[in-house]
This record gives sequence, structure tokens and C-alpha cells, in this order.
Amino acid sequence: MRLIFFYLGKLFTIIKNEVLVLPSRVAVGLFFLFMLLLPLFTKDIYLLRIFTLTSIFAIFAASWDLLSGFTGQMNFGHALFFGVGAYGAALLNLHASIPPWASVPLGALCAVLAGLIIGIPCLRLRGTYLALTTLAFPIILTGLIFAFPSFTGGELGISGIVRLTQSRVGDYYTVAVLMLGLCTVMWKITDSNIGIIFHAIREDEVAVRASGVNTTRYKLLAFSLSGFFAGISGGLYAHFMRIAGPSTLDLFLSFSVVIYAIFGGVVTIYGPVGAVFVLFPLLEFLRVVQNYRTLMFAVVVLLILLYMPDGLFAWLRDKIEKECPRCKIRNIATRHTCRVCTAPLD
Amino acid sequence: MAPSFLEIKGITKSFGGLQAVNDVSFSMERDQILGLIGPNGAGKTTLLRLITGILKPDTGSVRFMGKELVGRKTWSIVNMGIACTFQNMRPFRRIPIIANVMVSCMSPRAMKSGEWVKRLEAKAMDALEFAGISDMAREKASVLSQGDLKRLEVARAVATEPELLLLDEPFGGLSPAETELMAKSIKRLHKGGRFGRLHSEGPAMIIVEHQLQWLMKIVDRIIVLNFGNLIADGSPDEITKNPQVVEAYLGGGGI
Repeated sequence: MRLIFFYLGKLFTIIKNEVLVLPSRVAVGLFFLFMLLLPLFTKDIYLLRIFTLTSIFAIFAASWDLLSGFTGQMNFGHALFFGVGAYGAALLNLHASIPPWASVPLGALCAVLAGLIIGIPCLRLRGTYLALTTLAFPIILTGLIFAFPSFTGGELGISGIVRLTQSRVGDYYTVAVLMLGLCTVMWKITDSNIGIIFHAIREDEVAVRASGVNTTRYKLLAFSLSGFFAGISGGLYAHFMRIAGPSTLDLFLSFSVVIYAIFGGVVTIYGPVGAVFVLFPLLEFLRVVQNYRTLMFAVVVLLILLYMPDGLFAWLRDKIEKECPRCKIRNIATRHTCRVCTAPLD
Repeated sequence: MAPSFLEIKGITKSFGGLQAVNDVSFSMERDQILGLIGPNGAGKTTLLRLITGILKPDTGSVRFMGKELVGRKTWSIVNMGIACTFQNMRPFRRIPIIANVMVSCMSPRAMKSGEWVKRLEAKAMDALEFAGISDMAREKASVLSQGDLKRLEVARAVATEPELLLLDEPFGGLSPAETELMAKSIKRLHKGGRFGRLHSEGPAMIIVEHQLQWLMKIVDRIIVLNFGNLIADGSPDEITKNPQVVEAYLGGGGI
């Protein structure tokens, strides 16, 4: 009994010293709690459905940030991974009757394969050329899908896929927990030594090569990691909607993920996730003014980009936190001295 | 006979109609510091880039410790033990200075030689300390001055623990005091030894430089390029007396 109290005390100290000192960490903690406790307060199917879809697209947006934000490999055809993941999971589930817990990761592996196949020829390209080439791949795949309607379902897509779980709440929890877990994993990757190389590749690829690092390998790694996470979101989408259609390869999907990422702040991971949680429900709730829905959506996005060019969440973080000029540790904006080295802030 | 340390044979590179490096051949020993001088546009930087594989030569061969370098990728050449710095500094501006050096520390060559150093930061910090900018380690690289950027370049190159170091204008844009410091660091590096957790094998060096006054004090041997051609090769004393070199620098026809 005393041991339990001892560890509880330790946990409390960690939370007090590491989490509560920074508002951004508190916000992330509250977000986790909110996602996990939401079904306890509402059983509204419509609301749960919106948040499930939002979580799926949050994984998708974060995976784009991992590739294009961090390594700077502008990918305008990110829907390719989403679509391959969705179709892969759907076909495996329908024809080989593999259950969702296996078909989703296997579909994601198909997306990794797709990432490697397009990654290898695209690695020689840079900037605009890369963006335009990647833009073409989902369109090519859509053409292929229309060419073999007996296997892929053509324009109607593949329907009759097994549900993710037996209940709406189960669906919600599966997707929400996966979203929180995968986004944490992505954030961890970008925070590690690999993340440093990704940053460096974005800044100056020749200099990275002159530092003795095989950039080709790391760029392929970025392509496959990003493809894997996007493929998982695609597979979840297919199992949740119970249909995998050509809309999963849509051009609009590729561009909306770019909008999400830039709206929330690129090169952050938390930015795109937050942006999806703002924009996706916003688009849903704007249904009350059906005719002006997209227009108002565009106005919101434009205003944010005009006044917060670094993205909404990067801007918010700068407002509530200050960086210590001496030790570079972040502090809450209300403090006058750094919490670690006691140097005066600004 | 053991293969010579670095051997360059008949290397040629042209950009369109411009012959940047024309049939240059020389070889150097493990313990030398080689100065590479010449007027603007003589092809000095191009020659360094041909060695590191950033540019591909039209013809010719570069052999390093018996192995052919032409056709290899830059990162693989760096992992064989040739590090280079850039004339127009190319730091990763938006990441901290220490992370700039950690990229070099993550190259296979650096990882292999420092297995007992668990933390990359510690090794990167030693490289920064050697270059003399360790006090700014946590700042973004964009805040550095011209002279400190040069030092960052050197720290990044040293972190791969090279056997041959190619320095492209290490004194460019430095104040006289900074130049002296840099010259001393180069001398110290060439002697070899340990700098904290960083092991220096006392690399051979090729230094491209315009400030001859300082260069003459460091190097053992000087090679002069003019319009892509090698026009002189010898000790600093011989070079200053060579009439061809004087003509290339001051122009023919008398003053």
C-alpha cells in the first residue's frame, strides 16, 4: 500500500514538474483526456462520427507533415498513400477475408510499397518538379482503377467491407486511440536524431551529403514512414465508411491535407493535427449555411494565413510561451525569469 | 610500393565552353598540407568539388589510398575519410548549431569510430569546442556571423574525423585576429591527437586560399592554378620566386 502511494507521489511530481509548467503540454494533456472521455458524455452518433473521421484525417495530415514539412519533399499527391491504403485494406478484407486488425496494417504496407515505387524515381527531382510529378500519381492510379472495374469496382468502388468494430463507440475508441498513439510516434520520430537529418535535408541536401550521410536512404525512409501512416489512415477510413472508392484518391484530398498542414503550422506535427480538429468539424457545422459553406471555409483559411503565416498553432504557442534566451528552454509567457537557469526573459 | 595517399591524374572539367579544370595531375602524401592558389576563376573550387564528387569530372581519375573516387557518391567519399567545407557557407540555418554538427556525427564513419560515445551531443559539442563556438551551441545557425559560420563549417568537417580535409577559403571574410585563430586551429588539427571525445588523426589538408600571407606560414607545398591549368608546384619559397606565378597574379607586360 505504501509502495502504491510512493509511486503515485512520484507520478504526481513528474506531472507537476514536467507537464503543468508549460501551457502547451497542459493543452496536449487536456486534448488526450477529451478524446478518451468524449463517449462518456455524449452518445450522439453524429458527433462521434465526425470525431472519428476527424481523427482519421488527423493521422493523414500529420503524415504529410512528416514527409513534406520535415524533409521538404513537396508531395502534392499524398492521397495516393491514402487511396492505396484504403483499396489495399478493402481488397484484402473482401477477397481474402482478413479481419480489420490485420488488413489495415497490410494495406498500410501496400502504401509503403507505393511510396517506394514512386519514391525511387522521384528522388532525383526537387521542389516544383517533385510536386508536379507526385501530383500525377494518384491520377494515374485513378485511371487504372477505372480500367479494371471488375476487380476494383470502377467508379462505384469496393463496398461490403467488414466494420471496424461492432459498435459506433468501439469504432470511435479504436480510431481515437490509434490517432493519439500514431501521432505521438510521429512526433517522437521527428524529435529524435532521424528528425535532425530530416530537418537538415530540407535546409540543404548537398551539405548533408558532404557531411557523409546517405540522403537517398533517409529520403526513402521519410517516404515509406509517411506512406505507412497515411496508409493506416486510409485503411481505417475504408473500414469505417465500409467503402473504398475513387474519392480516396481525389485531388481535393491531396490539396486539403496541404491546407490543413499550412493552416496549423508545418514542421510541427501537432499543427496539422490541431488544424484538422478545427477545420474538419468547422466544415461540418457550417452545414447550417449550406450555400456559403466552402466560401466561409476559404475565408477562415485565408484570414489565418494572412495574419499567422507560421500557422495557427505555432502562433498560439509563441503567444503563451517564451523561449529563454540563455538556455533555450520554453517558459510560460507570464514568467519573468527562466524556470531552469533563472535568466531574465526578454 | 604502397599506393600514394591521393593521386589525381589528368582531371578535366568544362562547363559548356569554359574549361574550368584542364588536365590537372598531382599527388600528395599523408602528412602534407597543400595550398591551392590561383587568380579568381582559376578552377580551385571546381577541383575540390571534383575530388569530393559534388561535380563529376569529364575525364581523369582521382585515387585515394588506392581506391578510385570518380563515380562514387559524395556521402560515400566522405565516409572514406575526405571531408570538405564550402566556400559559400552552407549551414542548416533553421536548426540549432549543435544539431548542424550532429548530422556529421551521424555519418557511418563517425558512428563507427566513436562507439563508446553514447551521446551524439557530447561528440558534437567537442567538435564545436575545437572550432571555438561551443558557447552558442543552442542558438539557431542563422544568428552566426561570417567568421563563426566558417568555424561551423570546420566543426562539421572535423566531426567526421577525416584523413584528408579540404578547406575552401577558410580565411575568407575573417578579421585579422580571427584569421590568426583559424590558422592556429588548422595547425593544431594537423598535429592530431584528442580533442575531448573527438579523435583527430592529424588529417592531410588541401587549403584553397587568397590570403597568401597566412597560407605561406601553414603549408608545406603550394600548387598554382591559372585558367584551369596547373602552372607551378613547389615549396612556398619556390612559388614566390616563380616568374610564371608572378605573371599570373600581377599580369604580364610589366608594371
